[in-house]
Amino acid sequence: MAKPNAVMGVFDSEQATVSAIRAMDDTPWVPKRVHSPVPSHRIAEALKVKTSRVGWFTLAGGIIGFCSGFALAAFTASRWHLMVSGKPVMSWIPFFIVGFEFTILFAVFGNVVGLIHQMQLPGFKGLRQHDPRCTGEHYGILVECGSGEEGDVEEFFQHRGAQIRRFESAP
Amino acid sequence: MTALTFSKIDETVLATLRPPERSYWALVAVLFAGILVGAACWVYQIFVGIGVGGQNNPVAWGTYLINFVFWVGIAHSGTLISAILHLFRAGWRNPIARAAETMTVFAVCTAGLFPFIHLGRVWLVFYMLPIPNQRQLWQNFTSPLMFDVVAISTYLTVSSLFWYTGMLPDLAVVRDRSTGLRKKVFTVLSLGWTGAHEQWRHYTRAYLFFAALATPLVISVHSVVSWDFALGVVPGWHTTIFAPYFVAGAIHSGLAMVLTLMIPLRKIFHFQDIITMRVLEAVAKTIVFTGLIVAFAYGTEFFIAWYSHNPVELAMFKYRPTGDYALGFWIMVVCNTMVPLLFLFKRIRTTIAWLFGISILVNIGMWFERYVIIITSVSRDFIPYAFGLYAPTVLEFGIMVGSFCLFFFLFVLFVKHLPSVSMTEMKEILEEDDGHGQA
Repeated sequence: MAKPNAVMGVFDSEQATVSAIRAMDDTPWVPKRVHSPVPSHRIAEALKVKTSRVGWFTLAGGIIGFCSGFALAAFTASRWHLMVSGKPVMSWIPFFIVGFEFTILFAVFGNVVGLIHQMQLPGFKGLRQHDPRCTGEHYGILVECGSGEEGDVEEFFQHRGAQIRRFESAP
Repeated sequence: MTALTFSKIDETVLATLRPPERSYWALVAVLFAGILVGAACWVYQIFVGIGVGGQNNPVAWGTYLINFVFWVGIAHSGTLISAILHLFRAGWRNPIARAAETMTVFAVCTAGLFPFIHLGRVWLVFYMLPIPNQRQLWQNFTSPLMFDVVAISTYLTVSSLFWYTGMLPDLAVVRDRSTGLRKKVFTVLSLGWTGAHEQWRHYTRAYLFFAALATPLVISVHSVVSWDFALGVVPGWHTTIFAPYFVAGAIHSGLAMVLTLMIPLRKIFHFQDIITMRVLEAVAKTIVFTGLIVAFAYGTEFFIAWYSHNPVELAMFKYRPTGDYALGFWIMVVCNTMVPLLFLFKRIRTTIAWLFGISILVNIGMWFERYVIIITSVSRDFIPYAFGLYAPTVLEFGIMVGSFCLFFFLFVLFVKHLPSVSMTEMKEILEEDDGHGQA
């Protein structure tokens, strides 16, 4: 089987990018990646991307954080067995403060772990098929196509006002 | 003024990363010398003992705690701007968000040093860590000081992660426009960011959660700092208003510091098209708002002292404006509540010199607020036998100078080595405004 090649259409505007993505529905090609200098709801809608699952990691982190913060405060209090300032050894209300801070801390850790896991960071392979203009002011649609189809893909992009960049296929 | 475009934003911000002039390194050297002064004073204190500072009975918390609360306060507006205003979709935050977040991280680092300095025997700091130990002693998490350890370390961790995550797309912009060693460094720092739709999908979601988590955190942190005082049965401290009062004061001082830092930054790096007068004006208006909250809190303290008929509380609130520290009290009142009202005049809040001058006065006023709260209350406790006065020693001033130099040193290094304005967030404003800069 012929090895697929990658072609990127580099567009000047978000509007042209979105219209090219929509037009691609009528072609055999599927955008592998769409690069943009800013997050774009219009591009996300055109690509019909699903909501990220990072939130589940955040939630899990928060729950673990609350339980561990509360448990830590309760555990250290139980090691004292001394009444301090007339407060009971198990003073539940102050433990909520520690629990709250740990909730935030671990939820943020969960958020970062989710981000790293979902985005597969650090990942430098993507840079092999990356046009530096796409972090500045341009938008890029990367398409993988079969050998011999590059010309058709290029024509498709050029017809919509894009500049062309060709990459070797990802290993 | 020229209309902003994506490439003009990149050009303006990347121009700040060009090799600096000699004057820059001279400033870095001066600030580093200031840090050395502070470090030398601290080392001297470690060798001689905590008694070389002015803290003694009954005022055991002097400038070290004042500076701690001051720097934690400064840190707050960074999170306000980056998280709370992000959730409210306030567009004027975008040009200053990065610098404000950076200010937060460096201010928390500076604040975090003061409990160490105040410890005296700093090598025993591990007593605060909940680890199994042969002393068979465990931390008491019913103490507000232990709340503080947890809250400040959480705040430092969260704000650092928020800051770095927010910078990822911009680090990639720098990577894609540099060569040689810088390119290699920024390739590693940007972790392989390409701006692909899959990356944005997860990134925008995670950033939203960061903002949503940082918002209650920022309110909790200064509330916890206020409980260091409010949970003590000391006249002038033991009051329920302290948490909101401290949070408002923290944001008040932080916003003033944002102006103090942004105005020279705007001038030196030619950010006039990015940090527009409208942005500075919005900060000034917010300072009027926070100043009024602070004024309300000052008034409430006096009202409650009168209304409670508690003679000790009444005596404390008579002592503050008329006693030994009256000068500090009146500096606090004038600088924090009256001077910011000048921003009600459009001519003043749109004049750079006024904005800069008033921001510095508010910073001074907020430092004195902490001075008044911390010193007056314990210098006049319940028993006249235990009354005593406090004045900082030269060594304490040395450490204070060192802390200011450390903060500005880190900030000055940051602005020449990393993007000090979020290029991505600036582009987002343009995108929303259909390509015309309204920042």
